[in-house]
Amino acid sequence: MPSLAESRPHYGGTLRLAVKEAPETLDPVAAGVPASLSRLVFETLVALDDRGRPQPLLATSWQSDPGSQRWRFFLRAGVSFHDGAPLDSATVAASLRNSNPEWKVIDAGDMVMIETESATPDLPVDLALTRNSIVRRSDSAVKLSGTGPFAIAQGDAGKHATLTANEQYWAGRPFLDSVQIDFAKNDHEQMLSLDLGKADVIEVAPENIHRARAENRIVITSEPEELIALVFAHDPRSEDEIHARAALAMSIDTAAVNNVVLQGGGEPTGALLPNWISGYAFVFNAAGSNAAGSPAAANPAAGTPAFGNMNHARQERMQSKHLPVWTLGYDPSDTIVRIIAERVLLNARDSGITLNLSSTANSDLHLVRIRLTSSDQHVALAELAKTLQLPPPRIGDGSTADLYSAEKVLLQSHRAIPLLHMRRAVALRPTVHELRMLPDGSWSLSNVWLSGEKQ
Amino acid sequence: MTHESELITGRCPPVAAVYNARNPEMLCSSSRVRWAWCLLILFSQVAIASDWRRTEAQLAEKIAAITGPGVVALVVTNRSSISPSEAEGIRRGLSASLSDSGVRVFEPDQAAATVRVTLSESLQNYVWVAEIQQGTNDAIVAIVATPRPDSAINPQSSPPLTLHATQLVAQPEPILDVAILEGTPRRMLALGENAVTVYEFKDGHWFPGQPIAINHDRPLPRDVRGRIILRKDHLFDAYLPGMICRSTNASPLGLNCSRSDDPWPLQTEDFGVSAFFASARNFFTGALVPGIGQQKSAPAFYSAAALPRAKYALWIFAGIDGQLHLLDGINHQVEAKIHWGSDLAGVHAPCRQDWQVLAISAGSGTDDSVQAFEFADREPAAVSQSLQLNGNITALWTARGDDSATAVFRNSETGNYEAMQLTLACGQ
Repeated sequence: MPSLAESRPHYGGTLRLAVKEAPETLDPVAAGVPASLSRLVFETLVALDDRGRPQPLLATSWQSDPGSQRWRFFLRAGVSFHDGAPLDSATVAASLRNSNPEWKVIDAGDMVMIETESATPDLPVDLALTRNSIVRRSDSAVKLSGTGPFAIAQGDAGKHATLTANEQYWAGRPFLDSVQIDFAKNDHEQMLSLDLGKADVIEVAPENIHRARAENRIVITSEPEELIALVFAHDPRSEDEIHARAALAMSIDTAAVNNVVLQGGGEPTGALLPNWISGYAFVFNAAGSNAAGSPAAANPAAGTPAFGNMNHARQERMQSKHLPVWTLGYDPSDTIVRIIAERVLLNARDSGITLNLSSTANSDLHLVRIRLTSSDQHVALAELAKTLQLPPPRIGDGSTADLYSAEKVLLQSHRAIPLLHMRRAVALRPTVHELRMLPDGSWSLSNVWLSGEKQ
Repeated sequence: MTHESELITGRCPPVAAVYNARNPEMLCSSSRVRWAWCLLILFSQVAIASDWRRTEAQLAEKIAAITGPGVVALVVTNRSSISPSEAEGIRRGLSASLSDSGVRVFEPDQAAATVRVTLSESLQNYVWVAEIQQGTNDAIVAIVATPRPDSAINPQSSPPLTLHATQLVAQPEPILDVAILEGTPRRMLALGENAVTVYEFKDGHWFPGQPIAINHDRPLPRDVRGRIILRKDHLFDAYLPGMICRSTNASPLGLNCSRSDDPWPLQTEDFGVSAFFASARNFFTGALVPGIGQQKSAPAFYSAAALPRAKYALWIFAGIDGQLHLLDGINHQVEAKIHWGSDLAGVHAPCRQDWQVLAISAGSGTDDSVQAFEFADREPAAVSQSLQLNGNITALWTARGDDSATAVFRNSETGNYEAMQLTLACGQ
């Protein structure tokens, strides 16, 4: 029952988070730093709104020359780092140079100018990526300072961090007094913390979303965004290998993986980008094998997954004269990846393809999970290609048709077999208000407030 | 030099238009509200239909370029937020556009090719995908995309019988308070976080003038609150956390803003009670000037409503402790059983002897509703229907004259802040 006079946000209180990750640092340039947490402390020049469109953050406006190779970003006045230093163009330029050594970044008064070797029409969107956060580094680059709504008060690498409200935050002091983060908590520990009232917000693994809801917990989910894919270590070396890879793609029953292993926590896919970003992913779902150049499974009805079709897989496999034996690498510490890898192995075996599971890095193909880094479709595809070690996509004039063509080219390289897009989710106590999960799976805490707390 | 609004035109919507421009939706009296909504819906549908025709023609052209003149089977599947009736209209429009391009649509057994069109959508666009199947060849894909509107227009529910809501203005930026200046022409002041905008009422609409900027020398708190008080010796004062802006008497109208912790008037000036607002928070500290009778302070509170009685005024405070506090100059009574929201406003319906308090429903994640109550024997009794809003209230203040209140809510579907005038009418 809501108590009275609670509809206006309350100031005060400590939000307690429990998360699975165990980052050594919140430095946004470091690999593996959760974007949702890093953004509490560090900010970018540009932010993306709910539709993936660039909006001002530390930059209030920007301009480009006609060739999109030289950009000017005008900085917000009156912003200070947590250590008290004002946000100036020299610090911004140094930060951007550190995260993008290939850029020429020039500080000039109230703006920074960025020059790139080739046209970068997506530069404002690139600057919204977490790795492009503006960081002030002092004391031999060990001490980091940001401009975000919270400042790092205390940190025990990989175990615990305490953030306190930035009283001088340019966009208004956050409602919360502080945020306490417990790292390295597994799914069970997180759920226990929530149930015992020791945590206010926890992550929920995709396979546990259904159960968490059934047990009447408050769960917020993202769109399906985290890609699970098979990635080959090299390009196919023969027509035989192309057929074998297509047969493997068709053999995997991704609908069963989603329903049984993930308990509906994802969506089967044949595309790299999820449909909510591209609008056309279902074309690859229906003709994923088509994209891989296979005639065997052409022309399924639109929207009908072509995966798990053992007849098509066997037909495709028959066209390969020499069937390879592949090793499938996976991260054994990731339970859900291990279970999916075992399913892939069984499906492949049913279609006559031999896979051997391996936990070493030297495998023929790997089962990977890759989080979306941007809700902008062009940047998201480029970042996925980079992570999958595929050639950079060529998106032409930027139209959706061009994006489709670029993604099709990536899939036709036969290097990656997309399997699923998984949702991300958090569970929270009823005292937590205004926690927003963005479509790309990151969550925003800057407007969160707690009820039932004393000011 | 390129203006910022031009820089993204290649592939993104113009940024400046998103975060700089105002988008006032000007609506007036309650009866006109419905007509305005109808017209808006009608116009928007005409506009969308017009857009569909262009997109239909684009897709038909692409399909025809692949199939050439001839006979095709057309299957349209809708997996977007477009309504089924619109999707059917698109199917018909696409058939007509194909005919214009020399491609006739027939049953599959008479067709040389099958065209499967899927109406899909991404974050920013409606995406229409045609998969063209000719014989046993691989399907060829043609795609067109057209921007999705930021939000669909969603009409408010009909005005209730006694509690009337008159739409004033809607915009993407927060509105903190609104004050109407009666006269010819009618004018309206809208207080935002960074400006006061003067609107003029002409031809049944409120038209915005040039905003008068408010410059801040320190950050505003979150959940910013503000109030406009109309004055007799000058036009108005605007109260913001830690700041007061006084309008100039010169023309054009200007503002003199300065840091100030001066107390804000409660209810209206006529009551002569002010309260200090916490400059870095979203509530009043509780310190009252000069006080209510012998009581010089109340618990920290979000809002207050005064209900004048024969010999005293009963003040109701929505405390930050989640409770209602009733002060009458001597006694302090805490009401723990009333589930109201944090915004209250006192009003006086002309046909009633007692004053009323407008209160909103409590709760989070659901839309608010407003209802009028009277406090007979210090127990609230509902005296109006509950007026359901399409979002959460962000501001509720008593208007000058005490016969109405201005309310602002954030439309949960459009994201716009919508200001309205709430009045209580009798016998309806």
